[in-house]
Amino acid sequence: MPNRCFYNERMFELISDLTTMEKLQILADAAKYDVACTSSGVDRKGKEGFLGNSVACGVCHSFGADGRCISLLKVLMTNHCVYDCKYCMNRCSNDVPRATFEPDELCQLVIEFYKRNYIEGLFLSSGVLKNPAFTMERICETLLLLRTKYRFNGYIHVKAIPGAPDELLSRAGYLADRVSINLELPTAQSLSKLAPNKNFKTILEPMEKMTGTIAANRLAMGKDARMERSSINQYLSGSIFNPQAGSRQSALSGIERTALESGDKLSLPAVARSMGINRPFAPAGQSTQMIIGATPETDLTLIRTTQHLYKNYDLKRVFYSAYIPLNEDAALPKLDASVPLLREHRLYQADWLLRFYGFQADELLSESRPNFNEQLDPKCDWAVRHLGQFPVEVQNASYDMLLRIPGVGPKSAKRIVQTRRYAHLDFDILKKLGVVLKRAHYFITCNGRMMYRIPIEESYITKCLTEDNHKDNWKVVHQNEKYEQLSLF
Amino acid sequence: MYIFTCEDRFEDMMCCIYQAWEKALKVGHGCVRLEKRGEEQPSLFDEYVHVEYNAEEYKKVVRSIKKKISNEAYACVYYACLSYEQDALDAAYRFLISGFKAGSDIAYMRTDPAVMRIKDIRRRVVHEARYFREFARFNSIQGKIYVCHLEPKSDVIYEVSLHFADRMPSENWMIIDDNRKKAVVHPVNNNMYIKYFTDDDMLLLQKTENLEDEYTDMWKAFFEAIAIKQRHNTECQRNLMPLWMRKHVTEFQ
Repeated sequence: MPNRCFYNERMFELISDLTTMEKLQILADAAKYDVACTSSGVDRKGKEGFLGNSVACGVCHSFGADGRCISLLKVLMTNHCVYDCKYCMNRCSNDVPRATFEPDELCQLVIEFYKRNYIEGLFLSSGVLKNPAFTMERICETLLLLRTKYRFNGYIHVKAIPGAPDELLSRAGYLADRVSINLELPTAQSLSKLAPNKNFKTILEPMEKMTGTIAANRLAMGKDARMERSSINQYLSGSIFNPQAGSRQSALSGIERTALESGDKLSLPAVARSMGINRPFAPAGQSTQMIIGATPETDLTLIRTTQHLYKNYDLKRVFYSAYIPLNEDAALPKLDASVPLLREHRLYQADWLLRFYGFQADELLSESRPNFNEQLDPKCDWAVRHLGQFPVEVQNASYDMLLRIPGVGPKSAKRIVQTRRYAHLDFDILKKLGVVLKRAHYFITCNGRMMYRIPIEESYITKCLTEDNHKDNWKVVHQNEKYEQLSLF
Repeated sequence: MYIFTCEDRFEDMMCCIYQAWEKALKVGHGCVRLEKRGEEQPSLFDEYVHVEYNAEEYKKVVRSIKKKISNEAYACVYYACLSYEQDALDAAYRFLISGFKAGSDIAYMRTDPAVMRIKDIRRRVVHEARYFREFARFNSIQGKIYVCHLEPKSDVIYEVSLHFADRMPSENWMIIDDNRKKAVVHPVNNNMYIKYFTDDDMLLLQKTENLEDEYTDMWKAFFEAIAIKQRHNTECQRNLMPLWMRKHVTEFQ
């Protein structure tokens, strides 16, 4: 497609005769590297005269050719950008087709797609057009139109542009369900190396203000200051979401202070009244995303940062995005570098262990082992290194111990606890309850017996577990091999 | 062996359970079996009894399940009756035998094979309904009415409609089950209802699926654009969105 839409250096649009279809193609293509496409976190009933509702578990509507879910209409407001982040497709030094949506045009698209059940809502991000304030203004204008003129009651996820004024961030929060600010990279050094126009302060400061405002808003509505978490966490003593006796103050201090004693500094100005809308502030909380594989951070740094964000910023989700080489630059991995998909997968597994299994970041990894095992998932890896706690007797183990057995998840643990009140368990029944005995049998006893006579040794069990996954592990080992025709001459 | 058969409707199945139970009181539960009509493989030595709907029997069965066991058990039986699986109705019957003995505790007695089986069936039906909530696609007819065709294995369109009644209360829409020739119709700001169709109606309704509007193409373009080439993974896509469910999904046509 020829580049038919130009802005001069002052970013005024010179020619733009793109159709909505062409704009959609350009701006969806530009938005695809953003990973957070979830519509979860808030339950909202539909209203007569309005369009849409929202379901807390989220609804995926389709799955793309890459197997990722398509839940929201994920587009950029514009892919014009004044920044020059090295890893980004839309950096100003790249020559790519550029386009900008008109607010009405985008609203129309959302409504029509929503009515056909293609999408669950809108995910709106943007390149920086002219300056952050101007861009954020346009985003807010679109959201306001969508909520008022088009009477849209579905899910909206909006990206806050770092550096935008507080009034606009606040506005976006009252109109959207989830607000996110991309952390991009877990350390300040990496960020200054790859995104010279951004800095940690302009990212963390609005994030902190968002947290404070959400907490204040929740308290005003009579809810707990902290976001709702999976109900499983109330049974898990070690969970990162549980205020522990000693660290209660430290874990909550950031939020309690911002929520209750907030000066102007740590919360956003209230602007809901002036807009004439009555909505809670970002009811689905905020999220963020980090790029992995572009910089030399270890998994330990990433997972510690994640835990810190969950605990102190009360984020709902942290997303990881495997770095895909798009641009050539000395500071970046080479263009033919492989995409670290397995590493991303392991990080998500660990993220789940933090949020649903009561693990802490420092249990999973340590300074001496800063990266996840490629051949074993983080839970198995943890279990074989802590064989002292195994085997566990399923007949009377506590709920949080059951959850630490590889092959047992929140659902099967719940079923075990319910069932053993009425009957004796055996391995056959465990299997039918949904326990993956392939992994679990190394770590459990049932009525005092293990399933097979095996030595409880780290090396033996590790070998068995990797051997069980022989096919997948073969792919892992050989993932970077390329084949070519044998040449005889 | 007495085999009780009935039509594929929830009310009829409840009456079937009533009649079978009545017989079983004389001959024992081991000597009765329940089947939906059209699925049975007739056998030589069994006696077939076809059961018709009877309002009183239906109410009695529903009332006693709710009262003597629990609402949870009623939900299990209800979902089992929606299932396409051949032994689903019989599984519901076996579940009720254990249920009336144990009372409301039955929900947790997963070691009982009857309970295990019905929970399994229920889970599958609920999952199917959830899938079709996601993969239902509406076609707009001049922006006035939105029509969706589905071919679910289990009879889940009403469950699916419950979601859409909340989502689009102020639109005209209908969800059609092509195999069972029935539809849930929802008029603007009004209660939805179930309608059964004849073959001629169905032929007419088939045509609505080929209507294309500009947003169909835009959605397909978006669907193409949003996938990342470097992460291509067909296996994962198929796991999450099975091929048989894609029959009426816009982006795969």
